[in-house]
Amino acid sequence: MNRDLDALIALVYRQLKRWIVSRSRIISIIVQPLLWIVFLGLGFGTIFSAENIDPSIIIGNSSIAKYIDPSVVRNMLSRYFTATFGGVDYITYLVTGMAAMTAFIGSFISGISVIWDKQFGFLKETLVAPASRKFIILGRAIGDSIINTLQSLIIILLALLITDQINPWGIPVALVYIFMMSLGFTGLGIAMSLKFSSMEGFQMIINLLTMPLMFMSGVFYPINTMPEWMKAIAVINPLTYCVYGTRYWLAGVETGLSFMNPITSLAILAVFMIIFTAIAMVSFDKTTVED
Amino acid sequence: MDEIVVVENLVKKFKDVVAVDGISFTIRRGEIFALLGPNGAGKTTTIHVIATLLRPTSGRVFVGGYDVTRDPDKVREKIGIVFQDPSLDNQLTAYDNMYIHGKLYGLRGRELHDKIMKLLEFVDLKQYAHKQVRYFSGGMRRRLEVARSLLHEPELLILDEPTIGLDPQSRAKIWDYIRMLKKEHGMTILLTTHYMDEAEELANRIAIMDHGKIIAMGTVEELKAMLGKDVIYLTLEGDAMGFCSKLGFAKNCNVIGKKRIEILVDNAPRYLPEIFNIALMNGVEIREVSYRRPTLNEVFLHLTGRELRESLEEAPLPIHRSPRRWRRSR
Repeated sequence: MNRDLDALIALVYRQLKRWIVSRSRIISIIVQPLLWIVFLGLGFGTIFSAENIDPSIIIGNSSIAKYIDPSVVRNMLSRYFTATFGGVDYITYLVTGMAAMTAFIGSFISGISVIWDKQFGFLKETLVAPASRKFIILGRAIGDSIINTLQSLIIILLALLITDQINPWGIPVALVYIFMMSLGFTGLGIAMSLKFSSMEGFQMIINLLTMPLMFMSGVFYPINTMPEWMKAIAVINPLTYCVYGTRYWLAGVETGLSFMNPITSLAILAVFMIIFTAIAMVSFDKTTVED
Repeated sequence: MDEIVVVENLVKKFKDVVAVDGISFTIRRGEIFALLGPNGAGKTTTIHVIATLLRPTSGRVFVGGYDVTRDPDKVREKIGIVFQDPSLDNQLTAYDNMYIHGKLYGLRGRELHDKIMKLLEFVDLKQYAHKQVRYFSGGMRRRLEVARSLLHEPELLILDEPTIGLDPQSRAKIWDYIRMLKKEHGMTILLTTHYMDEAEELANRIAIMDHGKIIAMGTVEELKAMLGKDVIYLTLEGDAMGFCSKLGFAKNCNVIGKKRIEILVDNAPRYLPEIFNIALMNGVEIREVSYRRPTLNEVFLHLTGRELRESLEEAPLPIHRSPRRWRRSR
C-alpha cells in the first residue's frame, strides 16, 4: 500500500515535471481559450450589450414610434440580457465558462500522452513495475488533472484583468469543480486511449467528441434557451455541471435548468469522476503489450 | 533453490501466428543465459512472458518460484529489464528517470538518492545526471536503462538485445558492465541476442531459437562439439546424397539446403584435395568450396540449413502456411 502510494506520487511528479519542461504545450493550451475569449467575447459582447444598441432601430418609424421613450427600450433590453446571462455581461459569462473548457480540452491530452508513451516505451516501464497498476494510472490522471486545473487558474487570473464582475473568493471553490470534471474526462480519455494504437485514430474520435460536448455545455450560451434535443444532451453532459458550478462560484450566475444548483452539480460531478477513474484504473490493470 | 527461471512447454500465439512453440528451459542462479536466434525466432516474446507483459497461451513459467500468471506482482519485484526499444522518458533528466523508477519499486529518500548516484557512476553518466535524456546518444540511453534496471537490486536481470544498434565502443562498454555485474555481484542475467559473438562472449549457456522453438541448448563448447574440429562446405551440381556416401573419411556428412553439403572432419586442409579427387572421379561438379572452424554460426547452419546472418533479413515473425514464405524460398 505504501509502495502503491509512492508510485501514485511518482506519476504525479512525472506529469508535473513534463508539463513544466514543455513550455510550448502550456502556451498552446492557454492561447486557444484566449482566442475564443477575444473573438467571441469582443464580437458578441457588443451585440449582447444594451449600451451599444441604438434603440431607434428597434423602435422603427411606425405611427406609435414617437410615443416610445428610447431609454425605456434600452432598459428593457438591458433587463433581457441580464436575465439571459444571469446578471453579468457577455464577456464575463464567456470567460467563466472558458475556465472550465480549458481544463476540459486539456483532459484529453492525457489520453494522447498515453498513446505517446505506448509508442515510445515509457508505458512498458510502468507495466513491469511491481506497484499496483491501478495506483500508477490514478497518479497519472491526478497529475494531469492538477495541470489542467492550473491552466484553468491561469485563464481565470487573466479574466480578472478583463472583467471586474468576478469574485476572487470564489476561485478556490470553482477549481474544485474543475478538478473533478478534469479527472473524470482524463479517466475517459485514458480508458479510450488504451484501445487505440495510433495517434491519428484517437485524435479523430476526440475531435468528434469534444466539439459537440463543448457547444452543448453552456460555455458559449445558456442551456435553458437551447432547443429541447440539445437540452437533453446538455443534461447528460458532465461538462455542463462543471460550467454551471464554475460560473456560479466565480460570478454568481445561475443560468441553468430548474434542478441545477451548486450542490447537485457537485454531486453529479463526483459520481462522474468516480465512475470514469474506476474504468480507467480497471482497464489499465488488464493492459498487456499485445494491444 | 538453484533455478531462478523455469519455463515449461511455453506456447504463445498471436491470433493464428505461433510466436513461441512449446519451449522449455531453466536458468540457474548466477549464470548468464542467452537466447540466440534470428529476428522473429520468438526471443522477445519469451522475455515478455517472463516479464509478465504477455500471458502465455499455454505452458507454465516460474520466476523465483512464482508463477508469472498467478503472482505477476511478486515476479515483477524480482526482475529488472532492459527492453529492446528504449523505455525512457526523453523529456525528463537521467536523474528523474531513475527517481521515478525507484519510487515505483518502493525506494525512497536518502537511500534512493545514493543508489541513483552510485549507479549513474557505474555506467559513467554521473556528470549528465541532470541533463534531459533527449540529448543523450543511443549508447548513453542504453547505459542509463541498464543503470535503471539495477536500481531495485533485481534477482534476475533481463536484457533484450542489449547492444542492438550500438557502435563498437558502446557495445564493448555494455559488455564490460555485464561481465562486471556477473563477477562482482553474482547477478543472474537472461539476455537475448542475434549476435553470435555476443552470446559466445558473455553467456555461460546458450539456447538457440528458430521459428519459436529451441533447437539446441548448452555451453558454447557443447554446442560447437556438435560439429567437431573443422567444417567443409561444398556446393555442387549433381547427386549430393550420393556424393556424401563416398566420403569414407568424414566423421559426418549432411546435405543442408539446396545442393549444399556439410562435411565434418578433423583436418580440413588435408582432406580437401581428396574431396576434389573423389568429385572428379564421380563426375560431380563442385561449384563452391569453403571450410571453417565451427562458430555458433556453423552450429546454426548445421541445425537449420540457413546461416544466422541470412536469416536476419527474414520477416520478423514466423508465418505459417503463408504465401510470403513460399515466395522467399524460391
